[in-house]
Parts: sequence; structure tokens; C-alpha cells
Amino acid sequence: MNDPVYDVAPWLVLLPLAWAGLAFVWGPGRGARLALAGTALQLLLTLRLAAELLSLGGRRHAVGGWGAPLGIDLAVDGLSMTMLLLTQAVAFAVFIYARAYFTDRSADGDGHGARNHFWPLAGFLLAAMNALYLSADLFNLYVTLELLGLAAVGLVAAGGNAAQVSAALRYLLVSLLASGAYLLGVALIYGSYGTVALSALPLMSADAPLAVALAAALMGVALLLKTALFPFHFWLPPAHGGAPAPVSALLSALVVKATFYLFLRLGLGLFAPLGETIAWLPGLLGSAAIFWGSWQALRAQRLKMLVAYSTVAQLGYLFLIFPLLAPDGLALQAGVMQALSHGLAKAAMFMTAGVFLQVSGRDAVADLAGVAGRLPVTLFAFGLAGVTLMGLPPSGGFLAKWLLIDAALAQGRWGWAAVVIAGGLLTALYVFRVVRQAFASTEARPPLAPVPRTLEWTAFALAAASVLLGLRGMEVLHLLDVGAAS
Amino acid sequence: MNRALRAAVVLGAGLLAALLVAAILALPVPAVRLPALVAAHLPASGVTHPVTAVLLNFRGYDTLLEVAVLALALVGLLAQSPPRELTHAPSPGEPVLPLLARVLVPFLILSAGYLLWAGAHRPGGAFQAGAVLAAAAVVLHLARLWPAWDRPGRGLRLGLVGGLLLFLAVAAALLAGGTLLRYPPQLAGTLILLIEIGLTVSLGLLLAGLFLFLAEPRSL
Repeated sequence: MNDPVYDVAPWLVLLPLAWAGLAFVWGPGRGARLALAGTALQLLLTLRLAAELLSLGGRRHAVGGWGAPLGIDLAVDGLSMTMLLLTQAVAFAVFIYARAYFTDRSADGDGHGARNHFWPLAGFLLAAMNALYLSADLFNLYVTLELLGLAAVGLVAAGGNAAQVSAALRYLLVSLLASGAYLLGVALIYGSYGTVALSALPLMSADAPLAVALAAALMGVALLLKTALFPFHFWLPPAHGGAPAPVSALLSALVVKATFYLFLRLGLGLFAPLGETIAWLPGLLGSAAIFWGSWQALRAQRLKMLVAYSTVAQLGYLFLIFPLLAPDGLALQAGVMQALSHGLAKAAMFMTAGVFLQVSGRDAVADLAGVAGRLPVTLFAFGLAGVTLMGLPPSGGFLAKWLLIDAALAQGRWGWAAVVIAGGLLTALYVFRVVRQAFASTEARPPLAPVPRTLEWTAFALAAASVLLGLRGMEVLHLLDVGAAS
Repeated sequence: MNRALRAAVVLGAGLLAALLVAAILALPVPAVRLPALVAAHLPASGVTHPVTAVLLNFRGYDTLLEVAVLALALVGLLAQSPPRELTHAPSPGEPVLPLLARVLVPFLILSAGYLLWAGAHRPGGAFQAGAVLAAAAVVLHLARLWPAWDRPGRGLRLGLVGGLLLFLAVAAALLAGGTLLRYPPQLAGTLILLIEIGLTVSLGLLLAGLFLFLAEPRSL
């Protein structure tokens, strides 16, 4: 408890809550600079925390000085650290983009409500994700899930048209149902063991009481619903595809990763012994997600729906790791790398979709004809993000898929490797569908509205980062060797 | 919804209910006894009522996030509702309800103050007090003595999230000392009371806001 190093981790929760609250008081549409300053500070703190983690090992923070099980513990290990880094980095870039995106000119369906309340809602969203990654307490995790779900729904609904509100409402109902199921699971665990602190809970054993098995099922389904794994993906495309571009970027890149992280965390920890019997199930659903999501992306008429269905497919890869989890750690590395590279690439892709929408006022894939010559930076950013999603070298996506195939072959399980490769081909089809349309020559050259350079270059920066991640990826993955503090 | 789907839902719900009953009947005796731990640390918490000690001290971090959830719910609601025309002049209605409201509301405010103060040593506290304050606001509105709310001005916005910001300020000050929400024992009681006062006002406004921002302007 007398840690010689000052622990910066809790600031990652307090800071975004503070700037969200202040931005709300400041007034509708205000607070962008405050949010950017706060997020920059969070990014610096996360980098410092990562450096400390590498030299000093995992970290534990007893809130209130009580310690589990009486109090709540925060804990940081390599896995949560990678997610914290991804969250602050993507959020920072998206916020720079959002500041330029939500100007008075954006009267193209991304109405006033979205602009007016983006900053407070985004602050709560960021606080919720950081709190989730830091928490080591099942009930506290429930509170973070509530905060996360409400902030995400609020962002989808903000000032939207009827379609957007109906997507948000569906999202809200799914989110509430899942939260309820998760809470029921927490209650059953508390009833069985008398505590909700992860460090004080025993690993689920073969003779665990029925209540614990039921809790595992309820919490598992809850988190899959929130992560939109096939067949629970039905709420995702309208919600992510209908929201304003900066919101879609945050939701698709970060929010679904948070619940995936929790699923993984509980699957590696509390419910790890279950893995031997049912790990094939998430793998199977993940494969189905890859094929179904890619197929729908191929057929989508609107660009943002295409990108949203691509998220459904790419989330599938995250769940392919469960049947392959082994002591060699390859599958875990693959999962984390996929989460990181998809986070960067998908944020970039939604941001480019936002640029296309702002300059032309239209969102149909068919309307992209001739865009290549007029928005080369944005199209290049889309292509780079596509490279990561397809898994071409040297991108982060390539590294993720390589590790996944490596893990599958090391265990002689060719089927999973085949799914990875087939998924990559399908991804290439829908990415090239967009790129080919952008290069198509067209007679009609409707006037394009001027677009702030910030929008183009932030998207480009994230897309480039997703590709370059492959070159330095193994160094990032070293973080995963940092275990939890005892 | 077709019949087969409906039957499947009913069957699933029934199965879950049966499993829950079976699981709860077979619950083991928990290995950790939290109530005993809470009782043992109660003297160091700054308050004497175990529920308040858990909510504001032992698990005060949960409460901080829960307050954020409530504030967020209202921000989400405001982001939804378009600006609207409100008539601010209360119109005369039936006489009984306004009379009742005029009698009730002072007592409700008094009760809220009592609940806030009582929270330190018996059931009560900021959440209950805030709920009673919100109820007073709703009664006033139903009695047509108080109009529905339009877009909030800066003062009201500060009131809505002021409790959260105060809680955050205390948390930040304590975190600057090294540990999140670790109250110095001699100051614990005072700081908890301070936080609860802020929360009572903000929670009252937030809960009232969830009603008054949505209330039909024409009901006036």
C-alpha cells in the first residue's frame, strides 16, 4: 500500500468525468478545447503508466485504502494497459476530428443535438471505458457497463432523426437486457462466495455450485450481446451506421472492445475452467460473424452500413482466439493485436465515411464514383484502413491474423486457420468494392463542398497508425507479459 | 411476433426461472462475511450507519460512478429533446391540489433535510433526500404551481452536475494525497456530509429534471 510510485491510474477516470461535467455546465456545443486538453493529458498519463508497468510490473490500487473484499480494488496489468492505450489514442484523434466535424456547416442530418451534447457524452463514455479497464470488482464493473451503455446510447440518439432514435432505442433495450443479466450473475456470485472482488473469488471449479454456473452463462450472454457477436449483432449496424461519423468511430473502434475485454478477462480468470468444455462456441460464433458480416458488407448500399457490417465481421476474429488459447500465449496476442489494429483502422474508416458524407451530402456507395481524384488523402486513408482489415502485410491486422494462424497450426487445427484466410478474402472483396467505385469514371461531377483538412488528415493518421502497428506490434505485445499485481 | 417465437420466449423465461430457484435453494454458505467486515471497520468510516459507510466510504467509488450515471441520463435526455415553446404562467386549476401542495411541499423539504442529516447514523442519506426533493417538485408541477422545464440555463446546469463535480473535487483532492477517496479518519465524517449535501441538491434536480424536462407544457 505504501507504493513508492505515485499511482496515476485513477486520474484516467476522474479527468474525463470532470471535463464531461464542466463541458455540460459550459453549455451546448462548448467544451471541445477542454475535452482535447483533458484527453491529451490522459494520453500522457497512459503512456507514463505503460512505462511504469514495463519496469515495475502490474499495479493495484485499493480505493479508499480499504482493499478487497471490503473496498474496491483497481488493477492494471498488460492486457488492460493495451486497451487503455488504444482508448486514449483513438479518442484523442477522433476528438480532433469531431471538433472540425461538428461545425455549423454540418447540417446534413448530423443535426444540432449531436453537436450540442457530443462533448459531455463523449467524456462520460471515455470515463466509463477507462473505469472498466481499471476495475477489479464485479459490481464496480457493472456500474461501468451501465455508464458505458447509457453514454453510447445517448451519443447514437443525440438530436437524430427517427431512424437514428429507433436504432438508439433498440440499442438501449439490448444494453439494458444485457446489463440486467450481468447484474443477476453478479448477485448469484455474491450469494455463493460473499464477495464481488475478483482477487478474492476462487476460480470456478468442477464442483462449483449451480448458482456459479448459471452466473457464468448469464454474464457470458450479457457480454456477447453487448459486444454484438453473431447472432447478437442485430442492433449494431443501424446504431453504428446511423450515428454521426465521430460517434460511429468511437462506438465501433472502442465501445465494443470494452465488453470484449471483459469477456476475455472473465474467460481467462474467474471462468477459465469453463474454457475446456465450451471454448469452441465463441469460436464458432466468431466464424459465423466473419462470414455473415462480410456478406452483408458486400451487399450494403450505404457506405456507413458497409463499414458497420465490417465491424460485425471483424469482431468475429476476436472470438476465434478462445478455442486456441494456450500457454504459448499466441492466441491471446492475436486477439489483442486484432483489437488494437481494428480499433485504429475502423475509427479511420468511419472518419473517411464522414468526410465523403460531408463533401457530397450522400452516403451511398454508388455515389462515390470519381471521388479518387478529388479526395485522394481520404481515399488513401480508406485504403490503408482496408489493408489492415484485410490483413495484408505489414499492417497490424496482418500481424494479428498471422499470430492467429500460427496458433491454429501449432495446435494442428487447420479449420480455424482456413476461416481466418477466407475472412481476409471476403474483406478484400468489400474493401475493393468501395475503392473501385471511387476510381470509376463518371460524367456527372456534382460540386463537392470544401472539407476541413483536419478531417482528412486525422483519418489518415489513424489509418497509417493501424498499418505501422504491424512493424512495432511485437513490442506493444510485450506489455502482455506484465502480469497482475498480487 | 409469431406464435412459435412467443412460445420459445415463454419457455426460455420459465427455464431460467426454474434454474434460478434451484440455484438459490442450493446456495452454499459464503466463505467471505462482508457484513462482519463492515461492522469491524465502521468506527473508522466517519459515520455510524453501515449502509452510509458502504455507500460513501467503503464503496464510495461505486457511488461516484452511479451519480455520473444519473447525470448522464439527464444529459442524454437533453440531447434528445428539441427546444420547445413553454408557457410559463401557471393557469388556475382545481383548488384542492394546489392547497395540498402548499401544505405538503414545506414538509417534504423539511423531510429531505432530515433524511440527509439522519443518513450518518440511521437509514437515510443523499439519495433518499434527493428523491423527496424531486417528489416535491413533481407535486408542485402537478398542482400547476410550477411550470415544466425548458432548456436549462447555466445556473440550473451547474446545479444538475454540481454534486458530481463536488464529489469529483473531493476525490481529486484525496487522490492528490496518494489514494483515491481515502478519507483522513478525522475528516471522514465532515467530507462525507459535504458530499451528501451536494448530492442531495443535484440528485433532487436530476430526478425532478427527468420529469419536468419531459412534462407536457400544456398540462399547465
